[in-house]
Amino acid sequence: MTSTTNDNAHGHGHGLSYQSAIPVSRGKIAMWLFLSTEIMFFTALIGTYIVLRFGAPDGTWPTPHEVHVVEWLGALNTFVLICSSVAIVFSLEAAKHDDPGKAKRWLLLTLLLGGVFLGVKGVEYNSKFSHGIHPNFPRSAIYDRADTTWLSGLKESIRSQVGLLEKDKEDPQAKEQLDRLLLIQSGMVQWTESKVGRTDDPNMQRMAMESLACQIYPDSFSHEETADFNTYTLNEGKEVRQQFADFESQLSAGNTKLQELQKEIETLKAKGDEAKEELATKTKLANEITVEVTRLTSEIAAPRNRIEAMEELHLVSAGDEHSHGINHDHHLKLPMVIPSGNTWVNTYFMMTGLHAIHVLIGLIVFVVMLPMNLGAAKAGLIENVALYWHFVDIVWIFLFPLLYLF
Amino acid sequence: MNEADVKPKSHRTVFTIVFLMLCGLTGLSYWIANSHLMDNQLTGWLAMMAVSVAKAMLVITFFMHLWWEKKWKYVLTIPALLMGMLLVVLLVPDVADRIATYSKTRTDNAPQAVEAESTKPVESSH
Repeated sequence: MTSTTNDNAHGHGHGLSYQSAIPVSRGKIAMWLFLSTEIMFFTALIGTYIVLRFGAPDGTWPTPHEVHVVEWLGALNTFVLICSSVAIVFSLEAAKHDDPGKAKRWLLLTLLLGGVFLGVKGVEYNSKFSHGIHPNFPRSAIYDRADTTWLSGLKESIRSQVGLLEKDKEDPQAKEQLDRLLLIQSGMVQWTESKVGRTDDPNMQRMAMESLACQIYPDSFSHEETADFNTYTLNEGKEVRQQFADFESQLSAGNTKLQELQKEIETLKAKGDEAKEELATKTKLANEITVEVTRLTSEIAAPRNRIEAMEELHLVSAGDEHSHGINHDHHLKLPMVIPSGNTWVNTYFMMTGLHAIHVLIGLIVFVVMLPMNLGAAKAGLIENVALYWHFVDIVWIFLFPLLYLF
Repeated sequence: MNEADVKPKSHRTVFTIVFLMLCGLTGLSYWIANSHLMDNQLTGWLAMMAVSVAKAMLVITFFMHLWWEKKWKYVLTIPALLMGMLLVVLLVPDVADRIATYSKTRTDNAPQAVEAESTKPVESSH
């Protein structure tokens, strides 16, 4: 800002006037300078997002569907912000024409539209929180891959939830949820853990864990993958049922044999010393069968739990297009697998959160301005606030495709 | 005639046209995202970003009144634009190198996509 003298023809310093070096108001210059810093700020954020988005290993960045991003809601919010932008432009026009009533009405509409934007954002945030999609540890239930770390996290999560529900066993709903969690623990998690432990083949291990991950949260798997996992679980179910039937018949035969032996042993005991040798043989055999029955009783628990889990929790259909998985169907927040999910969540909430804070600041300024007389004298103020509001709109113009459509 | 007496020119028609164009361009973004253009993702992404740039230019040019401003507008907008572009360009090597320079430990712990081959139904271990 410089000053120049409007000297008269004789060189005397009468009638000094000040003139800006740039033919705009100081407020507007300040706002544009502020917006320049804001451009850098959001460019850094969006640039970082681009690095993380396109630098993620192939096929791992979550699609909108995987993380409950609803495209049409994003489009609606874009439309709302555009409407608010045009509303504040008309407010400025009215103020310039010294029509404070109209200027106020347009500003009120801008405020309402900004409120609608934040309301829609709130609905979107809530849909993510209700699915356990939170920014970062400790509330985040997202794991990058179906591996043993995730399996441990899953066990730990079930253990802590079971611990909480056990305190409230009297409540029928809590009891039902507790039983369900125990079934998930025995028929799904322990079953998978034991499958992983029984093989050295990494493909088999991965298949078992990814199949479990798909049953818990199928949204991060394609329909083809889900169909494959369903076939895998179906085939496995047939084998498990066969295995269970074998165990059951062996157990039944063992128990029958044991009962017969016990009767024989009683008879031999009654005979006394003359049957001593035979008694020892039969007792030894009975002991061996008891050990075998105990082993079978222990081993049959795993297939029994698996079959029960498959039937009660509808595991085969858990991942199909009519189901949304164990978490959704049973209102659980078990750790789920979304490749690059945590990076997505952190960048999503960082960018939309900072943008929402900017929207909120704009709304506060509108509320402060509304009681004013928004005539021609306040046109400069409205123009500066409008510049800020349009900038907020521009940021969303870039966030919408990046977060909702890419 | 006093400057204050001059009635400011109204741009309502221009603003209404810009508003309609912005709505149309938003619809176009949505259409691109759900069209065959996304069969080649890069083409789809570039098309959507081009639409976003067009929308931003409309807002800056008309709603932010730069169309009617004097040349001072270039002093503030061009350096900020160049610095912004530079910032993004500086990140490009990071994008290009990110996976190429992964250490084994990092690869082992990186997010893993489900591979089509490994999802083929296989006999269970029983």
